[in-house]
Amino acid sequence: MKAEELRKTAFTMPHHSPSYPIGPYRFVDREYMIITYRTDREALERVVPPPLEIDDPIVKYEFIRMPNSTGFGDYTESGQVVPVQLHGQTGGYVHAMFLDDDPPIAGGRELWGFPKKLAAPTLKVERDTLVGTLDFGPTRIAIGTMGYKHTALPAGRAEQALAEPGFLMKIIPHVDGTPRICELVRYFLGDVVVKGAWTGPASLSLYPHALAPIANLPVREVVSAVHLIADLTLNLGEVVHDYLSVEALPFRTVLSSKLVDT
Amino acid sequence: MRYEDIRNMAFAMPLFSPSYPAGPYRFVDREYLIITYRTDRDALERMVPEPLEVVEPIVKFEFIRMPHSTGFGSYSGASQVIPVRLRGRPGNYTHAMFLDTHPPIAGGRELWGFPQKLAAPSLKVERDTLVGTLDFGPARVATGTMGYKHKELACSVVMPTLEEPGFLLKILPHVDGSARICELVRYHQRDSVLKGAWTGPAALSLSSHALAPVSTLPVREVIGSLHFVTDFTLELGEVVHDYLA
Repeated sequence: MKAEELRKTAFTMPHHSPSYPIGPYRFVDREYMIITYRTDREALERVVPPPLEIDDPIVKYEFIRMPNSTGFGDYTESGQVVPVQLHGQTGGYVHAMFLDDDPPIAGGRELWGFPKKLAAPTLKVERDTLVGTLDFGPTRIAIGTMGYKHTALPAGRAEQALAEPGFLMKIIPHVDGTPRICELVRYFLGDVVVKGAWTGPASLSLYPHALAPIANLPVREVVSAVHLIADLTLNLGEVVHDYLSVEALPFRTVLSSKLVDT
Repeated sequence: MRYEDIRNMAFAMPLFSPSYPAGPYRFVDREYLIITYRTDRDALERMVPEPLEVVEPIVKFEFIRMPHSTGFGSYSGASQVIPVRLRGRPGNYTHAMFLDTHPPIAGGRELWGFPQKLAAPSLKVERDTLVGTLDFGPARVATGTMGYKHKELACSVVMPTLEEPGFLLKILPHVDGSARICELVRYHQRDSVLKGAWTGPAALSLSSHALAPVSTLPVREVIGSLHFVTDFTLELGEVVHDYLA
């Protein structure tokens, strides 16, 4: 293979059969159960990177079914998202994510910087209850439950929540083990169509695991719960802070799309 | 958390519970079934990137058990490895690799550039036969078989191969989808200990799969087989060619 051809076609590995296709990444009938809980402020402050800031010590625990996902297939995910602010803009910092499918793990990590690991999450209706579980190997580490469609929510509220940006810490090492990429990434969802949103009584239990330490952000109180179904497009992202350049430019951040010194 | 903490901690994602630890990556009792076959030169030359050169139209199909792997655990793999030369010196280019455990997939891809996907490889003894299989979802895409320890090989036959460098094509995208990293990487194994090596009658069949196209390097003739057990340390690598420079 000619070097010139490789340069033109390079996207990801393996080159002859990439682990994930180039987007756009459209999700149809994506179903969320999001249980919002209060945790310990200190625990949260230890894990949220600057320049992101936290307001209340809140975590959103998510179980997500993705039955119909362009290029990624039919899979399930579970994870923790922390409400944050970047220079006054509110969004969600994705702290941990667990999926049961390789292409969105590889693509999620390598394109955006989603902090994804392979595990076994589920989300399903069991008679009267919407149940989310997360197993890591043989160990159950999260159980979320919610009364099924007890109270409908206005679609507008769900759309507003999905319009906020997500933030990610993208870290990729160099081949010698030194950090090659260490960036704060911002992304948005696009073309969101909410097909239904509900709330109801909810509970959440988290258990410790050496390699899936979700219980390090302990559940002190369940604040609210949302069950929603939507179609949406996961857009590519932009770098809003480069941690490896900080020495040169101490508070270099990106506002809108251009580099500025704050 | 301070900016300085992030720079000091940054190794892999997630920041607070990295998917793989920093090495060294030591493998104990790593067991290989390697079936060497002749394929079509055209197909091979389409796959092997410059400046690597194909020597002969040969592929090594490997089934690997890794029961004790520092930081990675107990897992299995299957791969297609192509003997190549870089500026006249021999080495092995890993064309495709399938593993059943996530830390070595994430670490393999992100550190070195191993072209790894999640699948279900296995290597085990079934009565008289050493059997390697590779399933991708419900579909079997490779079956390798070999008579169990029919003929012992001297260490001096196998050791030189273990000391050859490995080559990888490391490609990672930027957050906007453009190519961020596109490099030819070279790595070595060190502190290799060979615990036994054998050969015997062997067969290999590959089946087609959209996402695991192992059969696009078709088996024209099986020309050799090797079963061996070894300990070694997988070293970090070095960039020998930057395609984006």
